[in-house]
Amino acid sequence: MRIARTKLATGLGTATVLALALTACSGSSDGAGSDDAAPVDTEEDITLTFAFWGNDDRADKYAQSIDLFEEANPNITVQEQFQSWPDYWTARNTEAAGSSLPDVMQMDLSYLRQYAAAGQLADLSGQIDTNLDVSGFDESLLASGTVDGTQYAIPTSVNTFAMFYNPALVESLGVDLPAEGYTWDDYFAWIEEASAAGADMDPQLYGAGDPTAVFWLFLQNLIQQGIDPFTEDGQLGFTPEDMTAWLDKGQPLRDAGATFPIDQVKQIEPLGGFTVNQSATEISWDNFLAGYVADSGTEDIAMLPIPAGDDGAKMFPKPSMLLAPSANSENPDAAAALISFLVNDPEVGTIFGTSKGVPAVQAQVDAMGVEDGSVDARVVEYEESIADLITETAPLPVEGFGAVEAEYLRLSEELQYGTITVDEFVEQWFASAEQSIPQS
Amino acid sequence: MSTVSETPTLTTEARGAGHPTDDRTEQQSTARRSARTRRAGKRLVYHLAVLALVVVILYPAVWMLMSSFKPSSDIIGNINVIPETWTFDNYTKAFGGIAGISFWTFFKNSLILAVASVVGVVLSATVSAYAFARIDFPGRGVFFAIMIGTLLLPFHVVIIPQYIIFNNLGLVNSFWPLLLGKFLAAEAFFVFLMVQFMRNLPRELDEAARIDGAGHVRIFRSIMLPLMRPAIITSSIFAFIWSWNDFLGPLLYLKQPDLYSLPIALRIYVDQTSVSDYGAQMAMAVLALIPVLLFFIAFQRYIVAGVATQGLKG
Repeated sequence: MRIARTKLATGLGTATVLALALTACSGSSDGAGSDDAAPVDTEEDITLTFAFWGNDDRADKYAQSIDLFEEANPNITVQEQFQSWPDYWTARNTEAAGSSLPDVMQMDLSYLRQYAAAGQLADLSGQIDTNLDVSGFDESLLASGTVDGTQYAIPTSVNTFAMFYNPALVESLGVDLPAEGYTWDDYFAWIEEASAAGADMDPQLYGAGDPTAVFWLFLQNLIQQGIDPFTEDGQLGFTPEDMTAWLDKGQPLRDAGATFPIDQVKQIEPLGGFTVNQSATEISWDNFLAGYVADSGTEDIAMLPIPAGDDGAKMFPKPSMLLAPSANSENPDAAAALISFLVNDPEVGTIFGTSKGVPAVQAQVDAMGVEDGSVDARVVEYEESIADLITETAPLPVEGFGAVEAEYLRLSEELQYGTITVDEFVEQWFASAEQSIPQS
Repeated sequence: MSTVSETPTLTTEARGAGHPTDDRTEQQSTARRSARTRRAGKRLVYHLAVLALVVVILYPAVWMLMSSFKPSSDIIGNINVIPETWTFDNYTKAFGGIAGISFWTFFKNSLILAVASVVGVVLSATVSAYAFARIDFPGRGVFFAIMIGTLLLPFHVVIIPQYIIFNNLGLVNSFWPLLLGKFLAAEAFFVFLMVQFMRNLPRELDEAARIDGAGHVRIFRSIMLPLMRPAIITSSIFAFIWSWNDFLGPLLYLKQPDLYSLPIALRIYVDQTSVSDYGAQMAMAVLALIPVLLFFIAFQRYIVAGVATQGLKG
């Protein structure tokens, strides 16, 4: 009890000091608006709270990084807190109701719109060049942290789509991979050919699983056609016809039984056709490489750019996570400085490596010191090789994205089992999306 | 045990059935024997069924215990319960703590919360129960109904308002939000349990004390408290176990990792978005279970006694 009371007293003390400091500030700056960013005060004692999701390993890495930050800014103390992914959002949602969110928090693309729309996040635009250095960022990547043109979050690291293939399997199938610049139609034709070649082998080999079953690939395909998957006001930007056209592309494969069968997928879950070495290719996020190598026991897994649309691949970097300051923070300047440090400092890059994805800023990538030929090095190399193909910004998911993505996955399983048709798929998905996405 | 002793009888019976005889005593004894066999058979079936049930119920616990000795990669996707390779790495890891905070810090926090909850519940619930059961104050019925009403209120409805109140009081990030309610008899379940218990104590006892000049305080302390031992012990056990296992409360109110209780720390090892360390989680789960298990073993006879006495005196 005494401990708690002392803490309460210190808390009150700090609050009083802060209140005094704030009055002092506003007094000296001649009534400047509180929105204006000022360089972080190096005299006053500042305590920041910082929340992230992740495992014990990430907690260790953040602890080391924050020690570095506190060394560089002796007057700032950062109080970290961490939870696992689902608990993290329970805690944040409750805090949001009480306007007591941590000063800085890890943010996910699928929650960004919701938190920004509710006014829970602070605008970072004013902090750029004062406390926040974004000079190392690619324009399109930085833009993925904006909602309606306002910069609410800064991406820390990225994943990009890649077409993974298993060279040994491709060779044993005897069907050459599609040449560079291949289109979706080329890829679907290749899968059919490869699966036909592997039909008599033991174990039976396949070209790939059904690519139309991945919601993000549907979105990628829309972007390649020049359609924005989600509108500015958080609604769907595509029509049922768009979805039908995409699903129809896979119909010949499903009819011919040319994709890795769904009933086998269910048996070997959480592994997949690709990781049991029975499926020669799979399109997924490039940070899956480590998992693929570990699960399949095959060291030799290579990556190609994904199939192109009519005007090129139009790929986008998807932020694996972002850092966002809360609107209720009493120290927006220090919060911005902490974000800036975590995304830019080379030593932080060395600490994290690619455990959060490939760092967004080149200085951190260079500082990772990856070993040649290691998984990290191959992912970095792949990202460099496709740099020219990345021309788009990651679509900002609508509110309720998790639910519509899960429904898409469920329906595509039904489709592969043959219990529903493409038309029924589209009808049911749109009906459920109407329920899940808040109508404005 | 019965299986072993009854098996010979079964074989004798089988042989006897093949040779019918008209000797009366023989017949009688055969009848008696066959009745005994039938009873033995019934007992055998009963024991087998109970054993099967025990296996089903204990399997997860055994699986958890055994998994804590397996290397992490062997836990998921391996149906073998007995570890192929025994390792204590998981325990080393669990004791090593998270991000520089030792396992014992989490343990200490859980223990403080659990013990303080027990103290709070016993202090507050007994007093309020005495008021409800023995003092005839105006509005007693209404207050009692309101108290019962809070039992029907789902916890999830009050989370956010409660959080906002504690946040405005500046008490978030301390143990207060988790304990204050317990010291103020906000746990209606315990108050109700004790009221029911107290109503069954003979009123003549207090009347006798009153004649001897005792006031409420004296009656409560010298007459009621000693008699309420079973109810107090039952409440303590529930309060301890509930607090020890509570997850949502600590998740919402404890922000600093060095205030986390065990259930929160336990979840950190498994995160779908990064790499999961199932081994360390299992080890931590086993370590977290041990105190509750010991507590339960030490007090279990009182649970039965406490609940039984309340049920019998109707």
